[in-house]
Amino acid sequence: MKAITIDLESFIPVSAAKERIFEPKHRRGKIDVTFLVLVLILLTFGLVMLFSASYAFAFYNEGNSFYYIERQLFFAVAGVAAMLFVSQVNYKILQKYSLLLFAGSVALLLIADIFMRDQYGFARWIYIGSFSFQPSEIAKFAIIVLFAHFAATNADKMQTFKYGVLPFGICLGTVALLVILSRHLSGTIIILALGIAMMWFGGTKMRYFAMLVGAGAAAVVIVLVVPAFMEYAGDRVTTWLDPYSDPLGEGFQTIQSLIAIGSGGLWGTGLGNSRQKYLYIPEPQNDFIFPVVCEELGFIGASLILILFALLIFRGYFIAMHCSDKFGALLAAGCITHIGLQVVLNIAVVTGTIPNTGISLPLFSYGGTALLMTLGEMGVVLSVSKKSAIKKN
Amino acid sequence: MSKSPSAVIKTRILLACIAVCFVGFSILFARLFQLMILDSEEYQRQAAENQLKVTTIAANRGSIYDRNGNKLAMSTTAWTVCVSPKEIKNENEKALIISGLSEILGTNQDYIREKCERNNYYQVIKTRIGKDLAEEVTAFASNNGIKAIYLQEDVSRKYPYENFASTVIGFVNDENIGAYGLESFYNGILSGTAGKLVSAKDSWGQDMPFEHDELYSSEDGNSIQTTLDEGIQYFVEKHLELAVKEHSVRERGACIVMDVNTGAILAMATKGDFDPNAHTVLPESVKEEILKLPEDEQGEATLQAQYAMWRNKTISDPYEPGSVFKIITLAAALDSNTSTLGDHFTCIGYANVADRKISCWQNRGHGDQTLADAVQNSCNPAFIEIGLRMGVENFENYFEAFGLTEKTGIDLPGEATSIYYSDGMTEINLASSSFGQTFKVTPIQLVTAVSAAVNGGNLYKPYVVSKVISEDGSIVEEYEPTLVRQVISEETSKTVREILETVVSDGSGRTAAVPGYKIGGKTGTSEKLDKVSEEGEVENYVSSFLAVAPAYDPQIVVLLLLDEAQMENPYGSVVAAPVVGAMLADILPYMGIEPNYTEAELEAMTGKVKDVTGQLVHDAMTTLRIQGYSVTVVGEGTTVVAQSPEAKSLLDAGGTITLYTDESLIPKEIEVPNVEGMSVTEVNNAIIGAGLRLKLIGVSESATDQVAYSQTPAAGEKVMPGTIIEVSFTINTEEPEENG
Repeated sequence: MKAITIDLESFIPVSAAKERIFEPKHRRGKIDVTFLVLVLILLTFGLVMLFSASYAFAFYNEGNSFYYIERQLFFAVAGVAAMLFVSQVNYKILQKYSLLLFAGSVALLLIADIFMRDQYGFARWIYIGSFSFQPSEIAKFAIIVLFAHFAATNADKMQTFKYGVLPFGICLGTVALLVILSRHLSGTIIILALGIAMMWFGGTKMRYFAMLVGAGAAAVVIVLVVPAFMEYAGDRVTTWLDPYSDPLGEGFQTIQSLIAIGSGGLWGTGLGNSRQKYLYIPEPQNDFIFPVVCEELGFIGASLILILFALLIFRGYFIAMHCSDKFGALLAAGCITHIGLQVVLNIAVVTGTIPNTGISLPLFSYGGTALLMTLGEMGVVLSVSKKSAIKKN
Repeated sequence: MSKSPSAVIKTRILLACIAVCFVGFSILFARLFQLMILDSEEYQRQAAENQLKVTTIAANRGSIYDRNGNKLAMSTTAWTVCVSPKEIKNENEKALIISGLSEILGTNQDYIREKCERNNYYQVIKTRIGKDLAEEVTAFASNNGIKAIYLQEDVSRKYPYENFASTVIGFVNDENIGAYGLESFYNGILSGTAGKLVSAKDSWGQDMPFEHDELYSSEDGNSIQTTLDEGIQYFVEKHLELAVKEHSVRERGACIVMDVNTGAILAMATKGDFDPNAHTVLPESVKEEILKLPEDEQGEATLQAQYAMWRNKTISDPYEPGSVFKIITLAAALDSNTSTLGDHFTCIGYANVADRKISCWQNRGHGDQTLADAVQNSCNPAFIEIGLRMGVENFENYFEAFGLTEKTGIDLPGEATSIYYSDGMTEINLASSSFGQTFKVTPIQLVTAVSAAVNGGNLYKPYVVSKVISEDGSIVEEYEPTLVRQVISEETSKTVREILETVVSDGSGRTAAVPGYKIGGKTGTSEKLDKVSEEGEVENYVSSFLAVAPAYDPQIVVLLLLDEAQMENPYGSVVAAPVVGAMLADILPYMGIEPNYTEAELEAMTGKVKDVTGQLVHDAMTTLRIQGYSVTVVGEGTTVVAQSPEAKSLLDAGGTITLYTDESLIPKEIEVPNVEGMSVTEVNNAIIGAGLRLKLIGVSESATDQVAYSQTPAAGEKVMPGTIIEVSFTINTEEPEENG
């Protein structure tokens, strides 16, 4: 038996140590305006729809129709500012602080798990006075940055288990464990998916992914067999397969969502005219905002939004692929994958295509931390775009 | 070590791009297309079901009128306005409710405030408000999103005449849906279309803000005018009810009065019947019988008793028509020329048909008879011969032509079909059928057929409803009489009418005669062959009588049948004919048909009242009717216990005789006061004041000062109240002295 020895020094971001926050003017490239415009269009769309979707819910639950839109607008403005700032920052600085960022996010997850558990057992939020945020949102970004750094630094050794799987596995496992402990299934799923995607981009050997698929299948079997898991997840699967089996309980959300989407028809009921948002769809301002979009704007409007998202994601990957820098390419790909995963999973959930997990729709769903992080990540992509050999206009 | 991304990284990013942008989004597109385009209708339906709350607004049910516009059935809808104080959201809403309801209902504001401040969910503000106000309140609550105001609807169907024509009119069930009779048959016309208020509600059941309600007004039901005549129906029911009591009729009595020239039903009654206002309530006697049963059988027995009580016997119960059917046999025989007026028939008390001996009701036989005699005598052997001469084919053809093989199609639910020899009719079958036995028809079929036989040969479809009238009184639809076919010739029909007239003037139907009117008729005493004793003895009979009036210009046909009269001799002539006579004596003058007395009839009016005490009321009526008197019956009994004026009293024809059927109702005899020497005014006061009637004799209009000098009956005599006291006057003899 040969002990596995890893050259820990190889994970220290030595090459980025000299990077500065702002690069000298002559080395700064231009940001990709196409990408920026797409982000801003989607954000505007998202804000309008958030107002439409949330005002009835806000009226009933907060006594103020503007409750959600006011807050979201604040974060949108802050987020756009952050995005523009980040786009001007030298993204390589992230590589420099990637270990620190990761350590910090793990610490935040620990704090939430230990100190912030609420009466129902959830520990998803950290509260500082009246301000609160989700550490898992930060962890997602930390994973992207850290894994981009790992893969970029040890690019030539990525085919090995020692460098291509093990460090990734340890870090991802730690974070995933902490997130699942906070009873945040959807966060865990996104983080795991993101981490695996980063390994894939980084060049981990295909057979490890094959093994992962096997492990995943085993996990599914375990979930199906162990009653404790079934209690939590099983109901969701059952109601996914037949939401009408429990129309007023577990299936209610899905049914109301499908009714909203389906009743939109080709042209929709018109902006602001959704009826399903009147307390039929639970949390229409959050995970279930897209059904309201469908109901009000119809298939035409919903398709337009899907196309805009597709364009955004395509452009993001395009930027990543053409980046002259390995770390930048991986970083951008990770950020875009994050957006893409959330969009696809959110819409798949609301259309009843996959079981119900709480995944929000980027740029649309209500949520300050998520919006800030999303726009921040978009800023990172824009920053990377400066090093991307694409036609920018 | 190169800093630029390796080919692997680029390829894998490209693959991810393809996976997300093309594969992932394609799946989502497909799914959205499925939900929003392919399945959209289903989801829109579900959405409507989800979000739209429909409040129904009941339509007013139309009324049922008789042919003169009297309301036989009507709807009253009233609403009760309630407030649920606990559901009032806040003080503003409370103030709005108080001012709004006060303005709409005109109720005192303090009163409403007091109710709104109670701590519960139910406070009545105002009861029995009309539709307009109810709609105003609904609109007020809906427009202001007030959940705390409720309206309770109270629809009730009223039958102001209670039992009157109940088996024809029927009743509505608890949901105000016609369940029986005309109410059921014309439910679609009467019920109208309920309106609805469609409003968008959130999942808490509150009105969505900024959404408009849609109101679909209710469409009130139309009314129907029947051919029933309130007056004729009243006379029919009065006499039928009494007759059922008089003869302890076990299986109820039924009567139809039909307009022979149109098929319109003027009266249709079954007794015992029920009060449609409380259609489930059984008569006390029936209730007692049911209570004697084992408990587990009582429910079913109650149900059966109710069905029996609701049943319209005139259309739902086929029976063996017996001798009344001889009218049809006669008409068929004459029309087929197989018998003629000049034919003679010999009755020796029975007839032999094939190997069977069939008796006549008259054991000693009727001897030699003309055709008319045979009808008057209701002779069975004669009719057997008439039937056999006609043959099976003729009989069957006429039987069918008279509409006896199919339902009449009257506009009432529950019409039964007849039961007859549909094929393979033997001679014996034909023989018994000729005098109305061994087959069954419904009373309505028989009345319809006889109408055709006497009205000139035209078979009309009977009907009860003549018009559909809208809420504003305009005629929506008018039903014309329906001529089905001509069955016999006008000539034959005329002969039938003439022969039937002799039945009442000279034959078995004499007890149905009404002086001043020519009436045709036929008695019937049918054996209930399906209800014989173990020894094969016929124990039960249907006593019936059918009258045609006026005989030579028929306007109405009356069929009365009493099913299982508990009498020694339940002959139609004895049991049923007097009742029909009494009905006609009321109905014909009511219809405006003037009496025209014959010499013989005037002779019979002796002016000396016959003794009818101890007789059944209808028998007494018959006796007195022949004498030309009108009769008033006092009491609920069936036998006359006293009469006024008394027997042997002198009373001119046209006078009224009061018959008492209840000892307790007989008025005490009154001592005639002495009026000698009194002035006209004084006499009048004394006689009328004593409860007697006054006839003045010798009073001159010009003379001012006259005094009574004699009186009949004499002073001090005991007489019945209302007895006429004749007082003779003369000029006061002392007058000249005063002047001189």
